Parts: sequence; C-alpha cells; structure tokens
Amino acid sequence: MRLLTLNPLAVKQWRRFRSIKRGYWSAVLLGVCVVLSLGAELLVNSRALVVSYQGEWFFPTYGGFVPGRAFGLDYDHETNYRELKAVLAERGEGDWVLLPPVAYDALENDLREDAYPPYPPSFASGHYLGTDSTGRDVLARLVYGFRTAMGFAFILLLCSYVIGIAIGCAMGFWGGAFDLLFQRLIEIWNLVPFLFVIMIVASIVVPDFWTLMLLMVAFGWTQMTWYMRTSTYKEKAREYVLAARALGASSARMIGAHILPNAISVIVTFIPFSIASGVTALTALDYLGFGLPPPTPSWGEMLAQGTNHLESPWIVTSVVAAMVAVLLMVAYVGEAIREAFDPKKFTYYE
Amino acid sequence: MKRNDQNWHRFLGAGAAALAVLLIAGCGAEVGEEVPAATAAEETPPTAGVELPPLVVREGDGLPDSLPADLVWETNDEDPTFASPEAKRGGTFRTYMLAFPLTLRTVGPDSNGAFAGFLRYNRLSLVAYHPNTRRPIPVLATHWAFGADGRSMYYKLNPKARWSDGVPVTADDFVFSVQFHRAKEIVDPWYNTHYTERIRDVKRYDDHTIGVQGAEPKPLAEMHYQYGFGPQPRHFHALSDDWVHDYNWKIEPNTGPYQIGKVEKGKYIELHRKADWWANDLTYFRHRFNPDKVRVRVIRDMNIAFQHFLKGELDSFGLVIPMYWHEKSVGEPFDAGYIGKYWYYNDLPVPSAGMFLNESDPILADPQVRYGLAHAMNFDRVINTVLRRDYTRLPTFQLGFGDYDNREITPRPFDLDKADEYFQAAGFVERGADGIRVNANGQRLSLRITYGDSHHTPRLVVLQEEAKKAGVDLQLQLLDRSNSFKQMREKKHQIGWMTWNSQGLSPRYWEHFHSVNANKTQTNNITNHADPAMDELIMAYRASADKAERVALARRLEQMVHDAGAVIPTFQVPYTRAGAWRWVKLPAWLGTRTSGSLFNSQALSAGSFSSGGLFWIDEEEKARVLQAKDDGETFEPITVVNRDFAQSGASG
Repeated sequence: MRLLTLNPLAVKQWRRFRSIKRGYWSAVLLGVCVVLSLGAELLVNSRALVVSYQGEWFFPTYGGFVPGRAFGLDYDHETNYRELKAVLAERGEGDWVLLPPVAYDALENDLREDAYPPYPPSFASGHYLGTDSTGRDVLARLVYGFRTAMGFAFILLLCSYVIGIAIGCAMGFWGGAFDLLFQRLIEIWNLVPFLFVIMIVASIVVPDFWTLMLLMVAFGWTQMTWYMRTSTYKEKAREYVLAARALGASSARMIGAHILPNAISVIVTFIPFSIASGVTALTALDYLGFGLPPPTPSWGEMLAQGTNHLESPWIVTSVVAAMVAVLLMVAYVGEAIREAFDPKKFTYYE
Repeated sequence: MKRNDQNWHRFLGAGAAALAVLLIAGCGAEVGEEVPAATAAEETPPTAGVELPPLVVREGDGLPDSLPADLVWETNDEDPTFASPEAKRGGTFRTYMLAFPLTLRTVGPDSNGAFAGFLRYNRLSLVAYHPNTRRPIPVLATHWAFGADGRSMYYKLNPKARWSDGVPVTADDFVFSVQFHRAKEIVDPWYNTHYTERIRDVKRYDDHTIGVQGAEPKPLAEMHYQYGFGPQPRHFHALSDDWVHDYNWKIEPNTGPYQIGKVEKGKYIELHRKADWWANDLTYFRHRFNPDKVRVRVIRDMNIAFQHFLKGELDSFGLVIPMYWHEKSVGEPFDAGYIGKYWYYNDLPVPSAGMFLNESDPILADPQVRYGLAHAMNFDRVINTVLRRDYTRLPTFQLGFGDYDNREITPRPFDLDKADEYFQAAGFVERGADGIRVNANGQRLSLRITYGDSHHTPRLVVLQEEAKKAGVDLQLQLLDRSNSFKQMREKKHQIGWMTWNSQGLSPRYWEHFHSVNANKTQTNNITNHADPAMDELIMAYRASADKAERVALARRLEQMVHDAGAVIPTFQVPYTRAGAWRWVKLPAWLGTRTSGSLFNSQALSAGSFSSGGLFWIDEEEKARVLQAKDDGETFEPITVVNRDFAQSGASG
C-alpha cells in the first residue's frame, strides 16, 4: 500500500491528519489506551507484580498460581495478595509485595460481611469506581471490558474487510454474471434479520468470543462489497489499468498491484466507524444478554447492571462515560482521516 | 397447578412456561400403559349440551352402579374461619401481568400463561383444603365419603351451585368434565393423560350425587388432592376439530367469585365480582373476595410495573426479590406511610432448588467428586452478600411437607479441607497453573453449570469464584429458560441449576430418582440416578396408603438422596413479601399458613388450598390517603413482619 511506503501523497495525507488536532490527539490517546490495555495484567490485577518473600522473588502476574501456603498462609488456594501485603507488613521481616495500581481483577468478588454490594467508590478499599452488584471492581471490569471490545472490533474489522474487499473487488473486476449473482446473493443475505439469528443461536448455545465473531463476520462482510465493487469498476476503466493489461499483467497483478492500492483509500475512511460499530454491536448484544457468557467483563453487561441499579449510580456513570469517551475519540479520528483523504483542500478545521 | 404470585414465579428458577412443561412432564412420564381411545367424538361432532358417548372404563376399573349403602358421609364446618369480618366489599384491585394471554381457554395450546391462574382458580373444585388446618372443606360438594376400594370417592353436590350464567351445576357437568378433558379436540396431552390415567371413572348417581374413581389407593388425606376435579359447563362447549380456535377468546362460565367482565386485547383484562355469587354464604367463603373488580393490566417489564406501583397505579406489588424489598422500596411513599410493607412467613412445600449433578457424566459419576463439589460451594457467602441474608440454605431436596420432612439431615457445608479430601480420593490431586485441579489423565476439574435465569448470575459468579479456592472451575452456561430446561431433560447437562415447583401434601421421588427415568430423555430424573435399593423404596412409598409408613419411607428416601450426593440443595425462601398502598387492608393475622401471596384474589391456589381473597379495598381510606399525599401529610409507616406460621429453622 502506498500509505505505508511513504509516497508523497501519503506524506501529505499524514501531515493533513496531524494538522487536525482533535483527531490526531484522539488517535494518540486511543492508541495509548489500547497499548495499555494489552498489558492490563500489570496495571489492574489481583495478582501482585512482585513478591519478595524470604529472599525469594515471585512474579505471579504472568506465572502460574501460587498457593497461600507458599507464603506461610494457611490455605492451598490462590494467594490473596492484598491480604498478603498486610500480613507481610505486620510480620516486619523485610518481605514485601508490590501490587498493581488497581489491585483487583475483573472476576473477583470482593464481598464484605458488613455491607451488601454494590459498594460505592472508595479510595480506602481501592475500588476507585466502586463495585458492581456482586462486588467486582468496576474499574477492572471497564479496563478488561475495553480490551475485549476493542479486540473484538479489530478482529471483526479485519475479517469482514478481507472478505468484503476480496468479493467486492472480484465483482467489480470480473463484472457480468459473477457480479450479478453476488449482487443478488448479498441483497438476499442482507435481508436475514441478523439480530434474530444471534438471539436464536444464543438461546441454544452459549456464544463464546469466536462464535460471536463468526456470526458477526458472516453478516458484516457485505457492507464493504458495494464500495469496493464501485471503486474497482471505476479504476478498472482507467488508462493505467489498460496499460498494465496491454503489458500482459495477470488479473491478480492488476488487482493487487494496481487497482487495490487506488481503491483502498475509500476503505480507509470507513475503518474508524467500523471499529465504533463493532464496539457498540458487542456492547448491545451483551446488554441484551446475547453476548459473551458471564462472567466475562463486558461493557454491555455493566450497562445492563447499571440500569437495573440506578440507585448505585457509579456503575452506570462509569460505563456510560467510558463508552462516550471511546466512541467520541473514534469518531474524531474517523473525521480526521476522512478529511485527510479528501482530495479537496477546503476545510473547517484550520 | 401453579402459584399465581408473579414474584414467586420470578424467584423460581423455572418460569411459568417451564413449570407447566415440568408438571406436564411429571405426570405424563408416569404413564406406562396404553392409552385407550378417549371418546368417539371425532366421528360425530356433538353440539353444545348434547351428550358425549359414554365414558370408556377399563377392565378392572369402574364404580358400582348404585350408591354403596355403607358410605360414611363427612363434611367440615367446624374448622375456624380465616377471613376478617371487618372486610368491606367494593373497589377495584389493580394488578399487572407481564404479557397478555394468548387465549382465554383453560386447556389446550398456550393456556398455561401468566393469566391462567386468574381463570383456573376461579373454577372451583369439589372440595378444597383449609389453608390453616389442611383438612378438606366443602366447596362445590357439601359432603364426601370414601369407597371401600381405597381409591373411590363419593360427593354430594351443593344444589345451590350455579355457573356464572345462572345454570345450575349438576352431576352431568362432572361426567362431562372427564369426557371433555379426555377429548382429543382440546389438544392438550397433559389433561388427556391425567383424565384417562389418573381419573379412571366418574359416575352420576342423581343430579347432585357423583362418584369418582382414581388409579390407585392413596392416603385418605390426599385423595381429594389426587383425584378431585372441577366440573366443566356442559351447556357451553361444542367439541369439534375447531374447538381450540373457536373457543380461544370465548369466556367460559365459571363457578368462582369473579368472571371476566371486560377484555381490551393487549392492554388489560377486568374481572368482575359476581353480585349474587352462589357461594357468598358458605362458611369458608364469607368476607372474602371483596373487591368488586380486579383489573389486570399488561406491563411488560417488572421495573416499569414497579414505577406504576410507586405512582399508585397498582395497588400492590410483590417484593420477594431482595433488591426490591431493600433498595427499591424505600423513600417517600414508604416513609410517609402511604405504602405498607408486609413480610409474611408461610409454611408451604418449598420449591426444590438445587444443583443437579448428572451422574452419567464421566467426572460426576464418581460420588467423591459430587461430595467434594458440595463442600466447595459457598452458599453462605452468597446468602450473606448478594442475597442479603434474606434466603436460607435449603437442607434437603424436598421440604415443607410437615411430618414427611427429614429434619435430621444437615446439608454439606462449605469446607475446603473436606472438599480437598474428597477430590484427592477421586484422583484430582495436582493443581494446574491456574489453580484448577487436574487428575492423572490430565483432565481438569472443570464443570459446566447450566441455568436459565439471568438474575441468578450474581449468585453463580460468587459460587464460581469461591469454588476456585477448592480447585474447581465452574463454567456458567446461561441459556433461555426453555432451552436450559430442555437441555436438562435431554440429560445433556453436567450440572443443572434448577428449581422444581413443589406442591401437594407429600414429597415425590419416583419422577426424580427412579431408575426407569434415568438415562432417558424427557424425564425428570435429571441426575440420572439409578439405584435398585432406592427403586424398591420408591415403589413401596408409591403403593402405600398408610401415612405412618409413607412418612417413614419418605424420610429414608430423603436420606438416600442426601447420601447419593447428586443433588446439592441451594436456597429456600420460606416467606412471601409484598408492598401495598395503605388503602388495601388485610386481616390482623395477614394471611394463612399456606398463603403463597397475601394479595391473591383467587378462590383457590396451588395445591388446592383456599387461601386467597382475604384483603379488601377501603375506599374512604383511599380518598384520605390521596388527599394526604396531595397535602404532603404523612402517616405512621407500615412495616409488618409476621412469623405466626414460620417453619422451624426458618430464619431471615
């Protein structure tokens, strides 16, 4: 792709993108969030980062589970590192525990005997955004839910674009009966009520991440075909393609080396919006209870909980704020990309 | 057939539809013999009021041709009444349902929806059970007697009994009822089976005397429950192949206090009190069924219905769910005394809520794993946190049947040492990197738990997290209600999280534990438990008509259920809770021993107890409260906790 080989046009587009401040900074911020969320285990986790115990060092984050007995506690199940920290500090033998900034993971129920969840936000307990109705940390679930949602949206985007672009390109390039057949097939396929299919499937089996992905891709690839089809049609008739043909280029070379790079700019502008729709689709399904199985941390599930527990506003405000922020940033990025790829120079942004 | 309190339903793991299926299945599964042709009605479609062909009576069955001379007629009007003489007639009671019924029929397809109770429990039976003493009381029959064969009953009908259209209720309506329920035209296999397999014969001796014969001898105390039934208006039904369609929205004459008065499809149904109801002056019906109208609105969401209740557009609302009682029912209308809160302990058969372990599963086949699993479930933590100490641990599979209960069993507690011991014995010694146990073959101790109610998820995630401490991985599989039930009935589950509705006067074991129901689809033995010793006791229990013997057998069976470890009993709710506006009045004693709901307007309830209709609407009070609300005046708040009938051991 020319965008990556830094041709003058791509450089121009990049400059233009950078010059649109809110889009650029949104992209940076979003990128940072995604990178941080990939290492979420180091930031939000009930397992300690480092434990120094009797001269031995433990790194439980990415290692296996360490039973409590290994640290001289009286149980065989996974160590509670928050308790361990207090215990070691009390023993005062120079042992110590380094906990992540948020010392809870997304599945753990931190329940107290003296009060009923959901617990409000509190710095003392370390639940900076409070807990949900089963005592799970809202911040932890937000972070891991973000990672799931973004991961889902990226993979969904990749799969449905690859299929959509391939088929759309083929339709535009070959035209004729092939084009006609696929047009009709896609039209029919689009009429299948996608949400109902997911609901039916979800009521029979518990959809896991990949089942949901498969379903969403199965119904999501069609959108791109129309754009690719038209722009391939357009590019195919251009002189440079005719020239390539005259030189004896194969169909694959004509599509891959000549048509695709020129047609792709249409697609690039759609990417951020596809990400946004991937995130919202997963959230909506989870909200309705047809998404990922419990206890997977998910924004939709939190939203459902939040609306059922309006008397505990920290749940719903956290997730709504997070959602608005992410979708807004994605929209800004999308807007900036669209602007950057616009051949007309006229703009409101400068 | 099932309880009407919607909140009770909410609490039950299985919903209305699933319950219906379940009950149908429960009885349907007992049929082993060939079903005789019920009627020859297919050939000659009868018209209303025309005699159907005579009943088919099987070889070995049949009532005597004339009334036996040696019958001892019994009746009961010496038990205390339980309604309040202060009750005032009048007003409209406004309540809600989550969906509009698909039919107003009481049998046939779609007839078991949420509204069915309003119809069904306004169709009176021959006798009902006194809600406090659990002894029979007269309803349509004034007297009853038992035949010498141990399975026949004779009834004298009340000559005053009338259908809602004024037609007298006679013996013919009972004969017709059996013919009707056996007819293929009603498209209802459950009723077809029940009235051919359980009710074997019915005979008219004169206009007001009938005999009924059941399938097998039962203890006398249970005879009415097992074999009693209600009449069917012979003058109303014309059975034909189109009956299901033709009668879908017809309003069938009934014998109870209310009849449908107004139907606005999709919006509401209004039931009207019969002005000159024939049973107004029966001993146990006086001062009951007080509102003139009961208006049942469709509100499709419980949260929204609750908002309507707070605004005063519904008169009462069930508050069994902890969140509703503790968090939602606070603030102005409650503090100002406009709405009262009632917490009422009752003494009813407890729904059998449990984790049902599939013994055909390779991992769960080992009893050591089942015991270990029971000790790995931290129910107390669930009760003390997400359930707000409102629920209590259910000690045994079946409970709440009085003498039949085995109160010596203590449920296996959460105990990591014991769990460890059992899992070690089962070969799950090592723990993997994630802390989950692994056996020598590398198999993880990971088990799938199938459930059908999303608001049980919080309970399960707590159990799931706690179980990790014992090295057990629980995978939660949430399906919709009917699919989760289907999966269990097809025995495809590993652990079924399930609640069986309990009713009747004694516990049932055959459908859940007899080996003939094991490893077969569509039966209620969802643990696939098969044990010849237990089979023998179950058959003895089923055959026995002697209460003392049955009690002893039931207790032994319950012990065997505990020893098998295939059921881990979970929670019980030994009470009902509701909120009601100040103008809805209750007797000083609130309810009865068997009140499943305090604001139930129906004549009968599940298990044929006659406990409904004790409340009344005080119109003057209503005007006063509404005025006070406008003026910002307040009353003394009402929060009543009544433990008069609390079962021993019930706390909360």
